[in-house]
Amino acid sequence: MESGFHGSDLDSSLKCKLEESGMANTHAIMEKAVNWFRSRSIFVVAYGTGCGAIEMPPTFTSRYDAERMGVVGVATPRQADLIILSGYLAYKTLRRVIRTYEQMQRPKYVITLGSCPINGGMYWDSYNTIKKLDDYIPVDVYVTGCMPRPESVIEGFVLLQERIKNGEKAGWQKYDENLKFYKDNQKRVLGGHIDPSYETDWYNLENGGVA
Amino acid sequence: MIDLSSKLEKLSLELVEKNAHLYKVTVKLENLESILLSFLNEFGYITLDSINCRDDLEEGLFTITYCLQTEKRDHVVMVQTSIDRENATLPSMHTLWPQAEIMEREMHEMFGVDFPTHPSLIDFALEYWEHMPPMRRDFDTLEFVNSMNPFRDQRGDNLDVKVEMKKRREEKKAAKLKAEQEAAAKLAAQEQQNPDSEAQNNE
Ligand code: SF4
Repeated sequence: MESGFHGSDLDSSLKCKLEESGMANTHAIMEKAVNWFRSRSIFVVAYGTGCGAIEMPPTFTSRYDAERMGVVGVATPRQADLIILSGYLAYKTLRRVIRTYEQMQRPKYVITLGSCPINGGMYWDSYNTIKKLDDYIPVDVYVTGCMPRPESVIEGFVLLQERIKNGEKAGWQKYDENLKFYKDNQKRVLGGHIDPSYETDWYNLENGGVA
Repeated sequence: MIDLSSKLEKLSLELVEKNAHLYKVTVKLENLESILLSFLNEFGYITLDSINCRDDLEEGLFTITYCLQTEKRDHVVMVQTSIDRENATLPSMHTLWPQAEIMEREMHEMFGVDFPTHPSLIDFALEYWEHMPPMRRDFDTLEFVNSMNPFRDQRGDNLDVKVEMKKRREEKKAAKLKAEQEAAAKLAAQEQQNPDSEAQNNE
């Protein structure tokens, strides 16, 4: 794995990338640099929706120390780049999660822990939990396991960092593009009782819905 | 049996002993409020542990159980009553035991029992629930779940574990056998080569 935050590291990687692609376009270079910085400073708001919340403290404290990779916890969703949803989501929680997600500033990413957000997990036949989370908000990385160990969570971070560094299309872009799909699904299970959104003109969805 | 039984006999109620720490009284719905009041004020059952509801679908009844304890905490008395399942209505006990308020809210949400004298009969764990109360036995959970949340389309590699494991074990065995054979063949080839190289060295 590449080492931390050394300036020379950046210089050499930038230089070699410049030589590789023969880029004269400053904007593209800046974009690459910004992506690199972005991938090394992921601010996390950890939303303990299910059992997986118990894996968060060891991941962020001295034993596994996610901070060495620039992954730091923050207090509010408005400061965060990444939201971790750790486990099954009840309808009631989903409502809060959507609100939290929409409060976050772009670019924003979502990691989920466990099998429950993928296909219901062991709560598949509960009257009060959802199965496929990516019907309601876009998910960037699923970390599987019931529940995943901190090593797996860190592997999820590494995968996400890799994607950010490569400038791949992330979930929040999909959310903006397919807003109607997500909002329709949300409305279907939440029965229209959704808090006024920060990004969506919920009452004028027919006209594009973007506030 | 505890000295409660003689007191209850005056009210023409029978105390049934379940075990040394658990007793049961069955009362009629009309008398429920007055009997619970005398349990609290006269017999000293100051704690309401829980209010439970059982759905007797076949008889068309809800069986409601109030679990009461004295200050000493040495035994529990269950006061049991039945109500009609269709328009289930109960008097609220929040004036006797304040904790009844939240227990009744839960019962209202999960079984649809109504409490006309309840001060705050609002959502408890579920939010904006519009369907049949989910703990009623005629609520078809599976059908509800499938209609609300269908499964993800199955992946192509969704396979029978037993068959797959057997197949894998056999593959492993075959691979091991093959590796052994190859190693033996290699050894034989080396042995053939070695005499030549020795001969070369000697030259
Ligand atoms: S995947 Fe397992 S550990 Fe995670 S929320 Fe579901 S049941 Fe709990």
